[in-house]
Amino acid sequence: MVEAALAVAGLARRFRGGAGIHGVNLRIEPGEICAVVGLNGAGKSTFMKLVLGMLRPDAGTVMVKCVDIRDAPAMTWAKVGHVVEHPFAYPELTTRANLGLGARLHAVEPTKIKRVVEDALDELALGPYANVRAGVLSSGNRQRLGLTSALQHNPSLIVLDEPTNTLDPAGVILLREALLRRARRTGAAVLVSSHHLDEVARIADRILVLNEGRIIGGLDPGGVDIERSFFALIHADTEESA
Amino acid sequence: MTRFQLLGAAITTEALKIRRARVGVATLIMLDIGIAVVCVAAVLGARSDDAALAAKLGPLVAEGGWAGYLSASAQVTAVAGLLGFGVVLAWQFGREFSDGTVTGLFAIPVPRRIMAAAKLLVYMCWAFVVSSGLVVSLLIGGASLGLGLPGSDIWSLLARQYGLALLTAGLAVPAAWAATLGRGLLAGIASIIAVIMLAQIAVFTGLGAWFPFAAPGLWAATAGGGPHSLVSAGQLALVAPVAAAFAGLTLQAWHRLQLDR
Repeated sequence: MVEAALAVAGLARRFRGGAGIHGVNLRIEPGEICAVVGLNGAGKSTFMKLVLGMLRPDAGTVMVKCVDIRDAPAMTWAKVGHVVEHPFAYPELTTRANLGLGARLHAVEPTKIKRVVEDALDELALGPYANVRAGVLSSGNRQRLGLTSALQHNPSLIVLDEPTNTLDPAGVILLREALLRRARRTGAAVLVSSHHLDEVARIADRILVLNEGRIIGGLDPGGVDIERSFFALIHADTEESA
Repeated sequence: MTRFQLLGAAITTEALKIRRARVGVATLIMLDIGIAVVCVAAVLGARSDDAALAAKLGPLVAEGGWAGYLSASAQVTAVAGLLGFGVVLAWQFGREFSDGTVTGLFAIPVPRRIMAAAKLLVYMCWAFVVSSGLVVSLLIGGASLGLGLPGSDIWSLLARQYGLALLTAGLAVPAAWAATLGRGLLAGIASIIAVIMLAQIAVFTGLGAWFPFAAPGLWAATAGGGPHSLVSAGQLALVAPVAAAFAGLTLQAWHRLQLDR
């Protein structure tokens, strides 16, 4: 059996009032792109934070390449790239300096950082902004910078929380191609959350629907009316819970 | 990568941030030039023909000459220094939450405790630069007042001033802890204002020597360890464990950090 890039078992974190994540199981294989979709407040960001150790679960485990993240060594995290809520971009630093900083913190060898950064600037078309401070970039370009920083070290697990929210159409296409390239050529596993169904249908191998902190089913990425299927699942779950 | 290499990466990162950010440079200028300018102004005011102004500023520089000038600098540094150092620490730690960059400090090879340690180490280096710069600024300010060449006794007062600035930098460390617990800059700045107020209360009630946040200012503004000092070496030494304790609390808070609010 192939070693899972990410394995989540019985993951739960309950907040005051009952919101949170309630017993989520998920396994993502190398090279697989898995999308998690849901309405606002469904728990997508909470789930992403639990996967990345930003929140401690009440129950359950998260394993990255068979290593429990509670005991994960530095080299496990060196092969993870993520953007959750805010891009990792310091406003006082230029795009290039931010990428250099991101590479360094992802344990890229110092002698390779310059090459890695220049390649990354090309890949997401950030060249014209290389020497511009992040603080004066548009929110879309800042997001593009954050995504570049998450991808430049060629991680084997990529976790992106609603990555296209502020991207322009060109940025969306560049990101889509970058993710597909990594998944198909280098075998990176991708976990991406979104509430844009059409967008995830274009790249995902598997689409899971999260509602009120639970995975309630899946959608066929090649389905003809994915939106209708999504709402059918949500309504059925809401009625069942009522 | 070894922990030493990870710490190196974190230190490089933090050094770059403080070098490029306006807050680091602006606070350095405010402390190094601002304090010297205030002290020069106090001496000029005390010398002025305006009797009311001279009466008000006279006690601040009562000893006259270099001694009076440096006594004024000690009193200003004890308060303005704490505020300035606290602002930089609050920024270093609180900005990660305010700017949203804290999410990028999770799920990376560098543990958050090491990131926090790097922030404190870079802050210490910055504080050494500020403290050294302040001594130079005060020397230039004194020369511009025509106080003449400082004698050997004045060099010891300058050393006292240098020590006071470093001790004050150490006493600002609670701002790092508060900014972490409060998830932002404002909590750190509020904490340092609270510390300044408590220090003033301690001095007014006669407990200043035993209150580590007030002791260095009291020490520097009086006889600096001489026979007339209001603060003993033992009381002054309390600053070190207090700073270390808050540094430890900050590292632990970063180690246990969760983004749950």
